[in-house]
Amino acid sequence: MDQNRQGARASYVALAIFVALWVLMPAAIRRLNREAFAEFQAPALHLLGKSRDMATFWEKKSRSTEEMAAAGRDLARINAALEIKLNAMDDVRRENIRLREITRYVVPAEYLSVVARVATRDSSSWWQRIVIRKGRNDGIRPGAPVVFGNNVVGRVTAVHLTTSEVDLVTSPGFRCTAYLEGDDQNRIALVNGVASNSLGTAKARVSVIPHDYTPPAGQPARVFTTGMGGVFPSRLLLGYLDGGTYSTQVGNFKESLLIPSRDLYNLQEVSVLVPLHQNPGEALMQGDQFQ
Amino acid sequence: MNTGWAWLILAIATYPWLLGADLASDVFASWSLTIFISGVCLIAPSRRLRRWQSVLFAAFLGFLFEARRPIPDGTVALALVAAAIFLSSNRQLLRNTPRMLWAAVIVNVLACLCWYVGAAFVAPVAASELAGQLTLQLMVAAIVGVVVLLPVALTQNAAMDRLGVPPASETP
Repeated sequence: MDQNRQGARASYVALAIFVALWVLMPAAIRRLNREAFAEFQAPALHLLGKSRDMATFWEKKSRSTEEMAAAGRDLARINAALEIKLNAMDDVRRENIRLREITRYVVPAEYLSVVARVATRDSSSWWQRIVIRKGRNDGIRPGAPVVFGNNVVGRVTAVHLTTSEVDLVTSPGFRCTAYLEGDDQNRIALVNGVASNSLGTAKARVSVIPHDYTPPAGQPARVFTTGMGGVFPSRLLLGYLDGGTYSTQVGNFKESLLIPSRDLYNLQEVSVLVPLHQNPGEALMQGDQFQ
Repeated sequence: MNTGWAWLILAIATYPWLLGADLASDVFASWSLTIFISGVCLIAPSRRLRRWQSVLFAAFLGFLFEARRPIPDGTVALALVAAAIFLSSNRQLLRNTPRMLWAAVIVNVLACLCWYVGAAFVAPVAASELAGQLTLQLMVAAIVGVVVLLPVALTQNAAMDRLGVPPASETP
């Protein structure tokens, strides 16, 4: 019994010494440790994501012929509608090219789009994240914006060999500048995630809304990226203002909540826009690898 | 069989449960709830493994949990190691199933509290009105502790039997 007590005491002392060493240890070693454990889990996360894909595949395969025919018919209708839109877009594109030629504006090819499947979602008060099944091997770098169509999903915060972690728009670590629909002067507002404190779906906060801003009547105001800061391309949809705006305690500006443009927890696939050249946001992220 | 690596093999045998917890967290993601079971997984090994093996097992579980989450490095791992030292030094506290259930609840809730406070400490926003969410998260950890202990312990005991780890003493 005494031997047990002595052993326990020695273990506590060893733990205390280890804690002290751990705190003093260079950050690189702790980061290496974190990376090693993340890589250990990566194959299981891939397996999880692929099993989910396979389950979806078999679920779809088990549908009846009538259902498939109905879905095909619906798709054909949607395709027809999209074709009309596409023609309209083609006119816009030609007009755009003509104007660019007049102004001799060169379109910068700034981003490489990498499509990635979502492996898992993870969320608490302090983080809202998804893990995607593409990583360093696929050219993804920390700080890259993540989108679905023209909707902003979030930003890559940590990259491993075959997986990456994405902070969602609603995550407390997320920040970016935004334009509000209906503000003709294009004044800049700020969007940042808020710590989730209820069972409800997480939202973000839009702050520094000018006092004289009035949202368009009859529809929720859309919030777009500005393209400033070098992380997100401009005019991507961040979401919608939730109801009205309200004054802050200081009273100089107004605030509102932001409803993300997509249901962030139902996404199956996203696109990572990897900048072809390192941008300022990415450079900042390199000094902030602890996520 | 040499039982020196039993802790690692046991950790790998326990990993499907941790993956299952991640899957459950995925389901509850829109409610901002994390299903945390690392504390529960510590109970059965603390009865049978030697102290140093329990410590390594606990550190492994802790580092696995915090590898993909914005928690200060070592918070969960060191909390679980402290719990492992305490439990493996006081095995009489785990001598029957009701006591193991109590231990599972307490260890899981305390470890959950550690990661929650640790994450709050490095979070880029100030905490406000989070007492409700914290209470909810701790309650979930407690309930999960009760529900998951028996199947996890069964799996772990089966693995330890195969590895030749001596059974837990009836009168520790």
